[in-house]
Amino acid sequence: MVDDQNEHRRSDLCVPDNSLTELGDCVYSDESDEFFLNIKNDLNQVDRLVSDAVNNLVINFKFISQLTKSHHEMVMAIEKLAVPDQSEPILELLRRQMMIADKIEHELEEAITSLQFGDLVTQLLAHTSNQLDVFIRVLQRIDGHNKSLPAEEKCLMDVGQGISKAMRIARSRTKEKPVVQQAMHNGEIELF
Amino acid sequence: MTKTILAVDDSASIRQMVSFTLKGAGYEVIEAVDGQDALDKARQRAFNLVLTDINMPRMDGLMLLESLRKISQYQAVPILMLTTESTDEMKAKGRLAGATGWLVKPFNPGSLVEVIKKVIK
Repeated sequence: MVDDQNEHRRSDLCVPDNSLTELGDCVYSDESDEFFLNIKNDLNQVDRLVSDAVNNLVINFKFISQLTKSHHEMVMAIEKLAVPDQSEPILELLRRQMMIADKIEHELEEAITSLQFGDLVTQLLAHTSNQLDVFIRVLQRIDGHNKSLPAEEKCLMDVGQGISKAMRIARSRTKEKPVVQQAMHNGEIELF
Repeated sequence: MTKTILAVDDSASIRQMVSFTLKGAGYEVIEAVDGQDALDKARQRAFNLVLTDINMPRMDGLMLLESLRKISQYQAVPILMLTTESTDEMKAKGRLAGATGWLVKPFNPGSLVEVIKKVIK
């Protein structure tokens, strides 16, 4: 019974050759080529924007860090000058300045951890782009095979199956996702 | 004498952050853009520690690790892996190839310096 139903569904999907021609008669065409190319361009654009922003931020934070160190040294120099006078209000202000400098340093360390999101994003985008490449290549190969079939053997179901097959192969041939992190927490450290 | 560290990563921003952190802690840092670049640099001069990413073009970090361990000069040099990879399988591969430790990205600058102080000779 189930086999009958499947056969029925299959015959529904097996459309006459002229309908397939309307669909483009293939699983891969110039249109799909352009579509996939646009997706790849979008991924590259995201990568460029993120990388550019991260590189600029790293330079900004590096500069802030250098300024903080100079500021730190200046506060210590002023402290030395103020000590002979034992001016309590000045010493108190300098203590507060040192506390602020320490806090800025701590925040900078945290920023360096967070800034590594750029690298994670780049790796994830490369992984997705690679999956897409494999998918496109398999589609092209299946398409080449379909084109060599006689017209009466061409069927809409084969197109769907071709796409599913390409997805399956793309999944199996792509390396495992290189990034599993879901948030920007400090990573584990293990010494062997 | 200042200790020299070879920092290997294909990401320019990660190299900058590692370099900035370690120079701030008093180390000399030489950067390499991938495993092949690192191997070429390691053959030219001696390093006290190698800190390397895994996923890189041309030569990945695991291959670099294996290649370095074959060079007598690098048999006892600490080699730390700094990577987004965190599966037990990958860590086992690293351990087998002779890695000294495994650091998962993102790294905290303070913790990175602490670990390096612990393993560097």
